[in-house]
Formats: sequence, structure tokens, C-alpha cells
Amino acid sequence: MAGANDIMVQVRESHEYGSHRVHERIEFDVRMNEFVCVCGPSGCGKSTLLDILSGVTKPTEGAVLIHGQPVNPKKQNISFVFQEPSTLPWLTVWDNIAVGLRVKNRPKDEVRSVVDGIIDVVGLREFERHYPHQISGGMKQRVAIARAFATDADLVLMDEPFVSLDQPTRERMQREVLDIWERRKRTIVFVTHNLEEAVFLGDRVIILSQTPARIRADMVVTLPRPRDPLSMEFTALRARCAALLSELSAVKNQEPGQREAGVRT
Amino acid sequence: MPMDQSIVTRIGDNASAPALRGATPATQVSKTSMRARAVLCNAASLVVALAIWELFAERAKSPYFPAPLDIYTAFSQLLQRGDILGNSLWTHVGASVYRLMVGFGLGVVLGVPLGLLMGLYKNLYVNTRAVIEPFRFIPPIAWIPLAIIFFTGITRYAFLIFLGAFFPVFTATMVGVGRVEPIHRKVFQVYGAGKLYILWRVVIPTVLPDVLGGMRVGLGTAWMTIVAAELTGGEPIGLGRMMVNYSELLRIPEVVVAMIMIGTLGFIFNEMLLLTEKYLFRWRWQVSL
Repeated sequence: MAGANDIMVQVRESHEYGSHRVHERIEFDVRMNEFVCVCGPSGCGKSTLLDILSGVTKPTEGAVLIHGQPVNPKKQNISFVFQEPSTLPWLTVWDNIAVGLRVKNRPKDEVRSVVDGIIDVVGLREFERHYPHQISGGMKQRVAIARAFATDADLVLMDEPFVSLDQPTRERMQREVLDIWERRKRTIVFVTHNLEEAVFLGDRVIILSQTPARIRADMVVTLPRPRDPLSMEFTALRARCAALLSELSAVKNQEPGQREAGVRT
Repeated sequence: MPMDQSIVTRIGDNASAPALRGATPATQVSKTSMRARAVLCNAASLVVALAIWELFAERAKSPYFPAPLDIYTAFSQLLQRGDILGNSLWTHVGASVYRLMVGFGLGVVLGVPLGLLMGLYKNLYVNTRAVIEPFRFIPPIAWIPLAIIFFTGITRYAFLIFLGAFFPVFTATMVGVGRVEPIHRKVFQVYGAGKLYILWRVVIPTVLPDVLGGMRVGLGTAWMTIVAAELTGGEPIGLGRMMVNYSELLRIPEVVVAMIMIGTLGFIFNEMLLLTEKYLFRWRWQVSL
């Protein structure tokens, strides 16, 4: 179903932090408009992977190519939703959402119309003049998500964006992200340690091993959307991922780059 | 799923909005009433302080212990007729404030960029601190002899006040740079922002509260310095100079008028900086006093 032209991101890298080997031959491709979830045991270098994908960190070996070009935040349109609160306390909700557009030097009219549009999507219209300390943690994360989607980034990187939220808020945010993604297609790489989240959101789930991280499994999720986390297929797939992950903590790393089939490959 | 999005959004807004909506007017009301109360209490304290002063003055019955009324008489005399040399009170105030602004302005104009530079390039400070730090401990007053030899007029005063204002501003700025959160830099980096953009949009907003705090400390030192500098001689005008003239004549009320002017002016300047802080840093929880 994917032609070679559809490939948007090519990852071929190994990374060391000091003398510590973090990534061992992480190699995968991401297609245009694909929603890829990356799972793995904590401390396996998931966040580092996103830093490398964003171009902020350079891998010690190999490279990340976007549309065949080496990744460079100045040239490509990438955005990032961080795990920790990343709203700027001195800017209002509205100005926080506009940050990416302003860095990219978009014309004023465009900034206004885009921010006004996205602020409704994340339901923060009546809080646009508030400062981050006046709104809840969930709303701050919605600001961060709105900021990431405002720039119409080709590649959106999300680093456990919902980890600090309570369960109902998290579920609602997951649906909101899917909603935005379905309305305005774009490529997303989403890191999480929550398997249910990964299976619920992703077109693909990549499972990393413990450090030095290798790709343990790369599964295509073909369940129709919207997905029902209580359905048989969903639970089966989730159990399969869980088995892979628990196997990881028990057994030593196997062959790197091994691919496993999902429900259907 | 547009179907449940509306429901979902409403749930979320209900969960957080009432608390905020309910809280805002209530806190605003209590804030204004609290402010009015604070103003009243301060006025009352002032009256009580003056009354106690008056009481002591009546008991003392000495020309060297003027009562508040004597001070007021001296004040209006200085305003209307000027001092022994014919200079009005405003001439003295104007001269002192002018010197203060030049020296203090110089301290800020040099202290902020140098603080930023040394805060951003920590090694620059670490490798030169043996040169910088000892200067901090030489009080501006200790520079007066050299200042008298090397400078005259406004440059002398500006130099001395600069010494007083520079270090608080410089140190506060440098320390403030350390408070910049790496995540805030990263937010801009992922969109491809350069170093200058990050300096302007992240470092400066983060550091500004510290800079204003340093300015308020520097302002206190600047006032201390200006009076000391004027006491040592030079031009015949300035609040410090006026004090010396009258103390030589043993006319205490005029001396006290100069003291009160210095205190009041310092207070007004400080309040102005505080108001600027409150306006600029609305995004913070609280502004320290």
C-alpha cells in the first residue's frame, strides 16, 4: 500500500551518550500522514529518539532524513509536544499557541487566523487571555498541543504528552489528537510507555528494547477507527505488545531489527 | 469523532471553568478592599508616628529637637524663599535626581548586558571573577577620594552612583540567566529559532524580574552614594550639599527636611519600579515587596 514516494522520514542511526550506548541501529521509515507510536521500557532512550528526530540532538552515527534531506529544524517544519509542561509563563494562552508561527515568521494575518482557528479546536477560546498559572495542567497540555498543530508541521513529535494527566482528561486528549490528525492529516511520531494508548492511537507500534535500544518489534495496527479498547481484537493486540515488553525485561535482547507482524501486515 | 467532541469539550470545560470563573471576581473584590485597607492603615501609621514625634518634641523643648510643625515651616520656607544662597528646594532636588538618574542609568545600561553576557557564557565569569569580585566589596564611598581627583561635576557624581548601582543589577541579571528553563529554549529550538531569537524571547523575559529586583537594590545604594558624594563637596547644590550647609549653621529643621526629601524620593522611585514590575510581570503568581 505504500510506494517508495510515500516515505517521509528515514531513520538510520546509533547513538551514544558519553560512553553509554543508547541506541543500537535504530532503523525505520515513516510514511506520509502515518501515526507511529513508539513504546519501550522506561529509560530506553525514547525521548532521545525524539530529540534526534527533531534535529535538536545529532546522533553519533547515521542520520535522520526527511524527504531525503538531513533533518534541520530551520529548514523543515517540525513541531514537538513535550512531556513536561512547556507553556511559557510570561505569554498568554493565545500567544503561547502562536509561538511556532512567530518563530517561522508567518504574516500577522495568518498567525491570527490560524491561532483563532486552533484555539476553538482545543476548546480554550474563553481562556485565550489567561496566563498559564491561571489554568489547569490539562489545559496547559492542550495549549502545547495546539501550538504543535498550529504550524501545520510536516512532522509532529509527541513525547508522552498525556503522562501527567488524569485518566479522563488523558482519554479526552487522545480523542482530540486523533480528531485533529484526522481532520488535518500529518505525520506523527508519538512516544508513550502506555500500550493501550499506543494501540489506540497508532497506525503502527514500534517497540524498543532496553538500552542499548534496538527495534524489538514493528507492528502494523489495522483495527478500524474509532477503535474500541474493549473489543476482542484490541485486547488481543494489546496483550501481544505487553507480552513483547515483559519478554524484554526477562530475556536478553534478541536479533536487532526483527520485525513482527501485527493483526495483519 | 465530531459526534462526541462537543460533549467531551463541554465536560472538560465544566470541570475547570467554574472554579476559575467563581474565583476571579471574588479575589478581585477582596484585592481592592485589601488595597484600600492597606492605604488606610499606612495613613494611620503615619499619623501615629507624627504624633509620637510631636510628643517627644514637646517634652524635649530643645531647639535641637524640632517638632513636625517646625519641619513643615522650614519646608515651606525652603520652597518659597530658597536656602541661604537663594537656591530653592526644587533646585536641590532636581540636581540630586538628575545625578542619580545619570549614574543609575549608566549602571543599568552596563550592568544588564554584562550580566547577560557572563550569565550566558559562564566561563567568562568563572575565569575572571578574581578581577570582578573584589570591586564589589569596595564601597562607592571609598572611591570618593579618587573621584575627586579624576572627575568633576556630573561625571564625578555619575561615576560614584554608577559604582553603587552597577553590582546589584549586574549580579541579579547574571544569576537570573541561570533560571532559564532548558525546556523553554527547546520549545523555540524545535521551530528553528536562532540564538538571538532565543535571547530576546526566552532569556530576557525570564531574567527581567531579577533585573527589576536588582534595580531596586541598586536604587537604594545609589541614594546612599549620592548623599555621601554631595556631602564631600563640589557644587553648591544637591540635597546632600544642602544638609551640610544647614548643619554647619546648626539649623536642624532644614537638615531634617533634606533627610525626609531623600527618604520620600527613594520611596517614590521604589514604588514606581514596583508598579512597573506588577504591570510587566502579571504572568507571575506574586510580586515580592
